Amino acid sequence: MKGSHPLHRVAIVGVAATEMARQLDTTSAEISLRAALAALGDAGLTSADVDGVAARWPGPGGTVFQPGSADWAEVFGRPLRWVCDTYPQGVPGALDAAAAIAAGLCETAVVFGGQAGVMGGATVADYTRPDNEFIACWGSLTAAQFALVAQVYRHRFTPDPEKMAAIAAAIRNAGHANPAAVMTGRGPFTAADVLASPMVAEPFRLLDLCLATEGAAAIVLTTAELARDLPQPPVAILGGGSEWHRQQYVNPPRYDEVWGLGADAARRAFELAELSPQDVNVFELYDINTYEVVRQFEMLGLCGEGEGADYLADAGIGIDGRHPLNTDGGLLSYSHIGWGGPTLKIVEAARQLRGTAGPGQVPDTEIALVTGAGSGAQYHNVMILGRG
Amino acid sequence: MDGPTDEVEDRSLRPLTGEFWAAVDRGELVRPVCGDCGRNFFVPQFACPQCQSTNWIYVPSSGRGRVYSHTTVHRPPTPAFDAPYVLADVDIDEGWHLLTWIVDCEPDHVAIDMAVTVRFVTGPDGHRLPAFTPDVVAR
Repeated sequence: MKGSHPLHRVAIVGVAATEMARQLDTTSAEISLRAALAALGDAGLTSADVDGVAARWPGPGGTVFQPGSADWAEVFGRPLRWVCDTYPQGVPGALDAAAAIAAGLCETAVVFGGQAGVMGGATVADYTRPDNEFIACWGSLTAAQFALVAQVYRHRFTPDPEKMAAIAAAIRNAGHANPAAVMTGRGPFTAADVLASPMVAEPFRLLDLCLATEGAAAIVLTTAELARDLPQPPVAILGGGSEWHRQQYVNPPRYDEVWGLGADAARRAFELAELSPQDVNVFELYDINTYEVVRQFEMLGLCGEGEGADYLADAGIGIDGRHPLNTDGGLLSYSHIGWGGPTLKIVEAARQLRGTAGPGQVPDTEIALVTGAGSGAQYHNVMILGRG
Repeated sequence: MDGPTDEVEDRSLRPLTGEFWAAVDRGELVRPVCGDCGRNFFVPQFACPQCQSTNWIYVPSSGRGRVYSHTTVHRPPTPAFDAPYVLADVDIDEGWHLLTWIVDCEPDHVAIDMAVTVRFVTGPDGHRLPAFTPDVVAR
């Protein structure tokens, strides 16, 4: 483990992802529980070891607490010492759990979630239809909110459409090669394929945009001390941070306010890790759309504003590139599972650090970057992981 | 739809935003203006985002502004909306902005910084909405 910061006394010791599909014949509660138990099994632990939970309770039934982490005490059959009901998933859930463990509020926490039996075939997911009265009345959707940001970028910098499309194609080709991906075997894709796909909300075409699928993901965190006695090589949390810019999907996001969203969180995270973005071996970035990928490289300072598409074309984002990116196929092609999507990024980063990521494995991964959310959502978060 | 039906909610009863919608129903665009610091803001919030004062009122707007950003939606979130349509974030001259539609204009002709003026239209649920139309129609 690294230095003396409290976060460095915590490790990720178990990870799991269930099967992923456009629709699964089970419930969100069952698939979430399966992911949690699988991650505990991966960690060499059982539900009896859990005293902290960050997980939405999808029902049916439950208490007045929302999103409902405390409800899981009922299913785990034991009282919990810590729950997280702010954002019980992904980077914020993991950072909150790590802080709670470091502070001694609990010892072993599981962060998990997903969805099943809720996606109705061709319709868009509920959570992509903001219900605010100043958004819904115009027929907006989350893709359109992000598009309003991307359009200003496009207007100012006119990125090469081929290079932008090549980013989506590369991520989708990682998914094509990943047997666990919803879109496994559906490629390979070229930039031309992306540019030929139907327009959804300018500048986004269908293949620029993430999936809305079913499945669940989970991670288990405990003290670095306990981690030494567990079967998996521990994954260290080297740094992290979050930014909550505004209410989500209420006002339209403004390019001039949100294109750099996450820069402050990233700066704090890298300072804590005593690393720089150039040290990252694998990027598991929140890829709700192609422009968001470019935005995050610019936000990290790896290239200047407006330079992302050219920069990534030169650097390479495949396994053998300078910046291997979304090695499981990402939200574009592996899976995006509602309340489990952000956690999938941590699962893949942990596997990369363990060296068990399968066809997407980048040799000798020592530092992985995980991000969540993005400009259109008006919040962003980052976490740097390393070998424990 | 031709107009509000019995099932259409009375938006003027909504907390915080009722007065905005009541004005829209009269064909008037209003926005919150802080009585203490003079800040224009939108969406309506219970307190001014600049000085946190709750002493604000709705004031009529010129309804004139410029397109900050726009996107043409080809796949609507529900079948109630007829695609394609142009969503836009319009900067109003008084210093506030809102999500809206650009109407009376070919989607391809909508551009960032285009000057626009409010024009009330009827949304798919029968309610009036403050859309915007270009001052100079490009054809």
